[in-house]
Amino acid sequence: MKVIECNRLSKSYERIRAINDLSLSIEENKITGLIGRNGAGKTTLLKIIAGLLHKTSGEIRVFSEEPFNSLKVSANIIFIDDNLAFPKSFCLEDILEAAGTFYENWDMSLARGLLEYFALHPKQFHKNLSKGMQSTFNVILGISSRCPLTIFDEPTVGMDGAVRKDFYRALLKDYVQNPRTIILSSHLLNEIENILEDILLLNKGEKCLHMPITDLKELAVGLRGKKEIVDELTKDMETYHQETLGKDSCFKVVKNNFSQIELQHVKKAGIEMLPVAAEDIYIYLTSGDKGGIDDVFNRS
Amino acid sequence: MKLNTEGMKPLYVQVSQWLETEILSGNIKENEKIYSQYQLAEMFNINPATAAKGLNILANEKILYKKRGLGMFVETNAKENILRKRKDQNLKPLVWELVMESERLGVTEYELVDMIKTAGIQIREGRNYESDRV
Repeated sequence: MKVIECNRLSKSYERIRAINDLSLSIEENKITGLIGRNGAGKTTLLKIIAGLLHKTSGEIRVFSEEPFNSLKVSANIIFIDDNLAFPKSFCLEDILEAAGTFYENWDMSLARGLLEYFALHPKQFHKNLSKGMQSTFNVILGISSRCPLTIFDEPTVGMDGAVRKDFYRALLKDYVQNPRTIILSSHLLNEIENILEDILLLNKGEKCLHMPITDLKELAVGLRGKKEIVDELTKDMETYHQETLGKDSCFKVVKNNFSQIELQHVKKAGIEMLPVAAEDIYIYLTSGDKGGIDDVFNRS
Repeated sequence: MKLNTEGMKPLYVQVSQWLETEILSGNIKENEKIYSQYQLAEMFNINPATAAKGLNILANEKILYKKRGLGMFVETNAKENILRKRKDQNLKPLVWELVMESERLGVTEYELVDMIKTAGIQIREGRNYESDRV
């Protein structure tokens, strides 16, 4: 079943197009990573899905309904970011208890357990927490709600490394026991890639790719060695990135459709094969044609 | 449990190889139930779909078989199948690398065979390969 379907969806802020003609669908009970550079349109897309923003044109269906002003969508969705507004007079415990009355699958004992584990005092107030602790509390809310559609928009802002790791593990464990549709946006792909099933890569408001994460990791391969030989071996291949090293060597990232026999040729020619991290593929795919940061300094 | 996230080997291949090692070492016997995709997901901290992909590789290679609604079980000849596969897929490329490097260094076939024999003896005696150099 498809939980989210968009068809030629667009959203403009004044003259800027944040989402441009986007068509995609997200299946039930998958963890999807929404990845993109700053300003790629991640938050805008998520807010439209959550019914917090109006689209400009196109179609959007969440649980088969237009999400804006839909009770069904708000009852089945939780949207976690670092801008959540809570009543000022509520302490953390009050917020959790109130959330329990909103969400059908709410697990209060899990919420309390996580609160204690992350050393948050139930009587504390949200506004008095540090940035990282606020984020931690927000993700506790997100996990414990067990919403059929759970959206985390850059949830780990301000968290330290240990807390981030614990959060991803907690999310995965709870997902294994209670499968649901989860969207996790981030620009730190290497941190979340292991727990993802699918990846959705946005670039300048458009879909760059949407595929199983295991496919993305096999999409590209890096070759390092003599430029002549590398160029000859990769003649007709799609190139994602290349740089020269020293006098006559190069490093080239190409689409990985080498056959077993070709791979042996590469090895025999003394060319090194290097894996390309998913994170790097994403940077190559979204870097555009402006050249690299080096070019800014090379202008005279 | 730790998987190598940097290497050339996809995570699901690493999962399937870990399962093979469990079968070879006798930790999971023939016709016994193997870990589910969910157990593997928790053990390795990976998405259950990735773990399922690792299990499916082994099902396609007749190392595991599916019982509807019950999960996956170890095939009767699993050990032999794994050994045959590893000889073909792991050992062969290693031997190729070995021979290629020897050619580059100008090591003769005789020397190479001799080195392999010596290494065999040292490994069986539990010695370190650097020990005879001092």
